[in-house]
Amino acid sequence: MFADLNAGARRLWAGLPLPARVALVVLALLYALAIAAPAVAPYLPSEQLDIVALKDQGPSWAHPFGTDRYSRDLLTRVLYGARVSLAVATLAVLMSAVVGTAYGLVAATAGGFVDAVMMRLLDAMLSIPRVLLLIAMLALWNPVPLPALVALLGLTGWFEVSRLVRAEALSVRERDFVVAARSLGAGAGRLMLRHLLPNVLVPVIVFTTLGVANIIVLEAGLSFLGVGVHEPVPSWGTLFFDGTEAFVGTWWSALFPGAAIVATVLCFNIVGDALRRVLDPRHLRSA
Amino acid sequence: MARFVAARLAHAIVVCFLVTTVAFLLLHAAPGDPFSFDHPRISADIRDLWRAEFGYDRPLLEQYARYLGSVARGKLGFSHSLHIPVGEALAGAIPRTLGLMGLALALSFPFGIWLGVFEARRRASASARVANAASLVMASLPNFWIALMLLLGFAYWLPLFPAGGIVDVLMHDYMSPGQALADRARHLVLPLVALTLVATAVVARFQRAALQDTLPADFVRTARAKGVDDRAVIGRHALRNALLPMITLGGLAFPALLSGAVFVEKIFTWPGMGLLVTNAIGARDYPLVLAAVQLGAFMVAAGSLLADVAYGMADPRIRVR
Amino acid sequence: MTVVRLVGSCLVVVLAACAACADRATDAATGGTIVIGVPASWIPGPPPVIVDIVSRTVADQLYDRLAEIGPRLNTIGDGGFEPRLARHWTWAPDSMSIAFEIDPTARWHDGRPVRAADVRFTFDVVKDPRTGSSITPLLGNIDSVTARDSMTAVVWYHRRTPEQFYDFVYQLQIIPEHLWKDVPRDKLATADQARAPVGTGRFRFARFEPGVRLELTADTANYRGRAKLDRVVWAIVPDMGAAVTQLLTGQTDVLETVPADVISRVDSSASLRTHKYQNLQFSFLAFNLRNPKQLAAPHPVFGDRRVRRALSMALDRQAMLDNVFGAYGLLGVGPYPRSLSVGDTALALPPFDRQRATALLDSVGWTLSPDGVRRRGGKTLAFSLIVPASSRARMRYAVLIQEQLKTVGARVTIESMDFLPFNDRQINRQFDAALMSTGYDPSPATVQQTWSTSAITKGGQNFVSYSNPAFDAVLDSALSTFDEALARTLFRRAYATLASDAPGVWLYDVPAVAGMHKRIRPVGMRADEWWANLADWWIPSNERIERDRIGLRPATP
Repeated sequence: MFADLNAGARRLWAGLPLPARVALVVLALLYALAIAAPAVAPYLPSEQLDIVALKDQGPSWAHPFGTDRYSRDLLTRVLYGARVSLAVATLAVLMSAVVGTAYGLVAATAGGFVDAVMMRLLDAMLSIPRVLLLIAMLALWNPVPLPALVALLGLTGWFEVSRLVRAEALSVRERDFVVAARSLGAGAGRLMLRHLLPNVLVPVIVFTTLGVANIIVLEAGLSFLGVGVHEPVPSWGTLFFDGTEAFVGTWWSALFPGAAIVATVLCFNIVGDALRRVLDPRHLRSA
Repeated sequence: MARFVAARLAHAIVVCFLVTTVAFLLLHAAPGDPFSFDHPRISADIRDLWRAEFGYDRPLLEQYARYLGSVARGKLGFSHSLHIPVGEALAGAIPRTLGLMGLALALSFPFGIWLGVFEARRRASASARVANAASLVMASLPNFWIALMLLLGFAYWLPLFPAGGIVDVLMHDYMSPGQALADRARHLVLPLVALTLVATAVVARFQRAALQDTLPADFVRTARAKGVDDRAVIGRHALRNALLPMITLGGLAFPALLSGAVFVEKIFTWPGMGLLVTNAIGARDYPLVLAAVQLGAFMVAAGSLLADVAYGMADPRIRVR
Repeated sequence: MTVVRLVGSCLVVVLAACAACADRATDAATGGTIVIGVPASWIPGPPPVIVDIVSRTVADQLYDRLAEIGPRLNTIGDGGFEPRLARHWTWAPDSMSIAFEIDPTARWHDGRPVRAADVRFTFDVVKDPRTGSSITPLLGNIDSVTARDSMTAVVWYHRRTPEQFYDFVYQLQIIPEHLWKDVPRDKLATADQARAPVGTGRFRFARFEPGVRLELTADTANYRGRAKLDRVVWAIVPDMGAAVTQLLTGQTDVLETVPADVISRVDSSASLRTHKYQNLQFSFLAFNLRNPKQLAAPHPVFGDRRVRRALSMALDRQAMLDNVFGAYGLLGVGPYPRSLSVGDTALALPPFDRQRATALLDSVGWTLSPDGVRRRGGKTLAFSLIVPASSRARMRYAVLIQEQLKTVGARVTIESMDFLPFNDRQINRQFDAALMSTGYDPSPATVQQTWSTSAITKGGQNFVSYSNPAFDAVLDSALSTFDEALARTLFRRAYATLASDAPGVWLYDVPAVAGMHKRIRPVGMRADEWWANLADWWIPSNERIERDRIGLRPATP
């Protein structure tokens, strides 16, 4: 099985265009830095070095990204911020993917009335603007602890993917091998897990990659509105928000977190686009 | 066709009802109520008196029933935080948000579709690649960041446009009709650009992806083989099929734009629904929040309904289902 | 005959010239429009039900008090008070009542004359519990108001106190009986009359656009003379960054508080000027002396005075002030703003000394564990600090305090929240530590409302439940003596007791720096209300810009 995965991965890599490969490497690097942040960062993220003398210093050898208004090293905070932002986004998107896939598979397998009801509910949820719903819940229960924030983000983002999964599952359901399995008496659960799931994974993978990008931006926006991650936890969103407050005088405090956000989002978008094209079943079949 | 529309209409009503219920439950589940936050010198007895008067001490189900009843009679209530009727607060804010969003939609779709077609058609050319990269970057930028940059860049560093507001807060009423129109237009530019830039990029990417799926399709290959001109191929065959997902996107665009409007309204001091609702939530202004949520759900449902009907008209296969 | 005629015509010419001069002089002084950027909207409602600061600012332009406090903010007796609606007042020989004579030329904006009945009515509205007014507890010493005749209102007291005059006059802005008498007391805020307020102020209500702006224009027939400015507009700009930008680009003319890091930008702008003014607002780190989970019991950490003093000594207040406010900081001098008349700026506060702090904590039994946090008998020296997210300065202090207290082994968790939930937690005493900001009235009695034992009830503002009978006793004496010098001595003694008990750390006086267009000449920015003399602000005629030339004409429909 590992040989299969290895071969599959190599084929995937070979199929990716250059920009996507670069993006993938960059992302891998970012995740690695995030995980290794405590070992790599020069200072501690909350360490206030000298609140009078080292406040708002521009980039220098001692502080490549400069210092913020509390004299904390910005490079350290961006590294630690990567941990929070990437973790929150990845976990939330994985949650969305799991819930959405399950919902879509159940709806597709059940069919008939159950399917109709589930889809109506889904339509209702899709009608609610996500940002407003999040703002409402975060404002009403302010302050919201970080795990709850992850759960909220995850549980408001699965609607789209469940639609995709259901559509894909419905089309797969009519294919020969599935019909065969059904006629041989395979139960619904087995049907879903063994036959449908592997075939609906493609849109889920694409969704996951693009979804992480979305959540990073969303988290930044929520912090901008004051309902996201709270002090003193550094996330790219809060760093960016702090930086924009005094942007004109201290350009580095917004530039570096902002650049981190944009670079990450860009990479995810590029990879997601490339994956969508490479993993397209029609493309795979013809290859 | 009529049955189809009726079915979708019923669906929309159910959705509105569900959204209202969810909003009601959420609001009442959260800590605090409209009167828990008043001036500290106001005694607890007075707060309890007010609560009893507005019925906030009754059981939840009864409150819900009373609320639905008053809405059915058209009474939306009084805003506790603004001391004006809820209807009046909404009537002021809605046209401002709808106007901005409507214009953004109206601009971003044609531009986005044109851009998407351009990128798909001339896939290999340098200009298309640049356009592709540009729309990718633009779609990756957070929209509040773009809004901030626009405000700083074109209202402060280069004072070309006003730094917020819908009209000049003072001089607008003393301008001639022509000047007043120009005043409105000047105030509209920056928030509109902020919303449209991202929306255009998203539409373009969507369109390009949709086109790329249909272009290799058999019928297109056949048309090409028959010698039909490239532009006609795209125009008549591919585009028609690729436009269908566009309609769905249009239906989804409404909630998306409403979300984006929250940031833009804050940065550009645009007194629309976004600002109104976020302030009302903070003040636990139940009547205002519930009315705004209902209205939002109604507009979104209307948008989806229109999109579905358009889709049904464009693709007969859907109607039969 | 011809000589008489000649003299007569000369006289006429001279008089005409003088009149023209006077007109031009008034023309030179009157006129102009200013736009004030405010973060929240005006909320309709008559003065008794006003709670937010923007509405108070507006109400002070529309309504008058019987007399206005003098610039020295003296609150003992009636020294310094200037006549407003009452042109003259007489104390009864036993000081248990004061008779106010209403100015016969005073008129409401709708033309009706002001009567003593209006004063009586206003008092009845405020005293009525159904109104739900926040001023009601402050008028406890006043028994009633009667109308001796149509132009004389008499106020009757329960007791003689040094501030009896101030208590009655300062809190009551008179509202017209003929417009409000038929409105149910609990519906004052939502009545139609609230949307079109009628008062006696030198400005009258012009227009309100919900969510956008409020406009007042000069009352040209006012009994005290019209306001110098033609028009004042309050423009609502909720985002502070946008508000600053609008000031810098000239869209708004006045910003009440310019954030510390933007002050230099406003100063260096060619069209703007900063104005420092005094105010009565100060901020401090408050320790809850009671356990929020069980309000009868003392707080596990802050119940001990020595711990509080140790934590006070661990904080470098000057460095934090420099970091947050730069050159515009005003270090906290005690449990009061330095502009308070009896404020002692030389009060002895716990000094900044980390060594003494750690020694004190060790001596009390809070020992340092390997993880850097102190523990005693199974309890940790850890607590949460609540902060309102809307206050940038306090949010910054929270982060600085968290880090500074870490150096002496205390673990602080910051809980930031919207202003309203923050207020709620304060009132219900559901916090460990809080960064509070209080605005005092000019009267030193505010100290009693904030720190005395009697203020620990639900209606009082002693949110930390500070209770020291010695302090209460000295404060009572200070507030009941009619001797100003003795009062000052007693106040100082009371403050010294309070400061040594360290129920809080006195961080800073809120710096008051306004940003204004340089053509505006502000007048009389009082410490309690910078807007008190807005009607006297003026714009020299040779510096006027387009918006000043609108004049009093109404808008084109």
